[in-house]
Amino acid sequence: MTERDGCRVWNMKWRRRRMVGGGLALAAGLATGLAPGARAEDPSEMPPQPGDRLVFLTGPKKGTAIKPDDLPLGGPQAQAYPASPEGVLREGSRLNLLIVARFDPAQLAPETLARATDGVVAYSGVCTHQACPVNAWSDEQKMAVCSCHGSTYDLRDGAKLVFGPAPHALAALPLKRADDVLVVADKFTRHVGGEMM
Amino acid sequence: MRGLLSGTCLAALLAAGLVGAAHSADYAPVTDSRLDNPEPENWLMTRGTYKGWSYSPLDQINTSNVRNLVPVWSVATGVDSGHEAPPIVNNGVMFVSTPYAQVMALDAASGDLLWRYKRKLPEGFSALHNTNRGVALYGDKVYLAGLDAVLVALDARTGKVVWETKVGDWKDGYYMTMAPLVVKGKILVGVAGGEFGVRGFVEAFDAETGKSAWKTYSIPAPGEPGSDTWQKPDTWKTGGASTWMTGNYDVASNTVYWGTGNGSPWFGDQRPGDNLYTSSTLALDGDSGKLIGHFQYQQNEDWDWDAMNAPMLVDFQHNGTTIPGLLTPQRNGYLYWLEREPNGGIKYLNAVAYVPQNVFKSIDATTGRPVIDMDHKPGTGKMAQFCPGLWGGKDWPYESYSPKTGMVYIPANENHCNKFEGKVEERVPGQWWTGVAVPDFHFSVDTKAGFYGEIKTYDVNTGAPGWRQLYSRSMMWGSLLTTGGNLVFGGGTNDREFRAYNASTGEELWHFKTNSGIIAPPSSFAVNGVQYIAVQSGYGVDAAFQEQLLSELVGWQADVPQGGVVWVFAVR
Repeated sequence: MTERDGCRVWNMKWRRRRMVGGGLALAAGLATGLAPGARAEDPSEMPPQPGDRLVFLTGPKKGTAIKPDDLPLGGPQAQAYPASPEGVLREGSRLNLLIVARFDPAQLAPETLARATDGVVAYSGVCTHQACPVNAWSDEQKMAVCSCHGSTYDLRDGAKLVFGPAPHALAALPLKRADDVLVVADKFTRHVGGEMM
Repeated sequence: MRGLLSGTCLAALLAAGLVGAAHSADYAPVTDSRLDNPEPENWLMTRGTYKGWSYSPLDQINTSNVRNLVPVWSVATGVDSGHEAPPIVNNGVMFVSTPYAQVMALDAASGDLLWRYKRKLPEGFSALHNTNRGVALYGDKVYLAGLDAVLVALDARTGKVVWETKVGDWKDGYYMTMAPLVVKGKILVGVAGGEFGVRGFVEAFDAETGKSAWKTYSIPAPGEPGSDTWQKPDTWKTGGASTWMTGNYDVASNTVYWGTGNGSPWFGDQRPGDNLYTSSTLALDGDSGKLIGHFQYQQNEDWDWDAMNAPMLVDFQHNGTTIPGLLTPQRNGYLYWLEREPNGGIKYLNAVAYVPQNVFKSIDATTGRPVIDMDHKPGTGKMAQFCPGLWGGKDWPYESYSPKTGMVYIPANENHCNKFEGKVEERVPGQWWTGVAVPDFHFSVDTKAGFYGEIKTYDVNTGAPGWRQLYSRSMMWGSLLTTGGNLVFGGGTNDREFRAYNASTGEELWHFKTNSGIIAPPSSFAVNGVQYIAVQSGYGVDAAFQEQLLSELVGWQADVPQGGVVWVFAVR
């Protein structure tokens, strides 16, 4: 194989990969809320799907479906994973980590309010900087904070970034209520995960 | 179009490692004897030698000509975040590791890229620090501690993976950032994760096969010596004592010295007892890894003052006698003189505060154990301020020792404090678990202080302080390099400068403004009789986080541009 032939073959592979592995997968990812590269075959790794319930990751009610009244009004956030209607906990991918918090609906920005139910909002719990869990809470600011590098998100306003190195807001997850528990109403509003990883 | 195609072809060849193959015949295998006594023209390990001096004997670049130092080549690493690895050089081939577990092999004289390895990290992976602090060389292989706690052996000629071995479970909070240490055919690594409730260890792997040879935990299990210092059941399982920086090695006594980190969670009242071997230096047998000695700098740790840096092996004068010593400026703000005992024990000799510290009332002259001022010891539900703050008198950046001057050069920070209290938190594997949230750190600085970052120096024999270099509008996050040319090289400031000082007087002789802030250690090497100074510039991680806090506290510029570049300088 000549060097020139080698390059031509490589370029063809690259183009094909871009279309199938990159382009289509990316398009599918956007459509389903699936992060590029995520595997969708295993239900425990699938991103949250409409109809999924939200289940506590920690605390005295760990493993149970979250009811709006379970959450303290005004924060802090609770960590959760989605669970399929069949009961499959989608904890197979860290990218499925969620944060959930309850606020006075009057405090929510219009777009946020439209995605909330009973004042409860849900977002990806994966920081958009380096993919660390957004598991800390600022009592002073009433905002969620990434423990790795301090990126601070306003959950009342679309989880927009108010401090820190993250490039943009967390992906929001629209909610509804069914049988008194929180249920996923739609897919993630945007790409989930950090930069560079 | 033709030009574009050529570029694409070149990229393809680089990705395949084919260009590097041209250097195959020239690559000089790294042997035990070469590691014991590296040639002056090579920089074979992260701190230059097993003694950990960060010193190059090369003297072609010296106080008389350093003003003529100019960049001769540079290369972009293509990634952001904190670049913390020195360029490692073996007979004209440079190996540079970067954040996100990437290794670039370069022609050290021309800067031509030979090959590049970039580790694919698992989906959903995250780490507190995405950095890497250097590769290790042995035989014809390059060893990388992967961020995802996987040790990788690469073919030094091609960059192809020879073997991979899982060291820890990243989903449980383990990750790796240090440069591996080579000891007689074994590759030694430690782990990070002290903020996630891991149990630290040092593990050795066969250099050829990747098979584990021994593993020594830095926290004893019940029944093992020291286990009675964990008085509450099960706290030892998640007690921290991570091992996130590279050790040093005493060839003569076959003893490895390795540092350990803070206890987990951060608040000592949640894990009563002295908590061996948190915030300690361990002495390990070089063959078996057996723990043969230790020194703990502070007991029942509360301040995030890891003792992660292994002491430098320096022989110094003490009471009229030359002592086989260990010298170490610790994150707790004290500079320690310790003795390497023949049986592996570590004996305390002396310590002085190199920055003001308000936690130790005194240090026992015999044992080295500090008496703690409880007013400055935070606890669960107990707010307390302490100075220096959690980033310490110095963080991980390397001090340097020059045998020419007999002085130690310390990249230090002062006039800063933290104030916090702890909470009892449920541990989630792989998540922050310190007992205090980042927004509640209450980091503060003395806004009237005339400086914050500095270089401090001491005579290692007399303990007398020498010259200081003060930075009025920057912290100091840069490792230092001393050379036979009586120079000190270092960056570390937020103004992106790389500087050279006269090692005897502290006079600044040269500076160069780079692309980003420098937090990586410089190294020095020679090819074809020409001495070079090399360093990566790439700001990030804790330096950048602290800078953002300082922008709010004292108005410093928060935006120190990021993105890595390898710089190589020579006198022209």
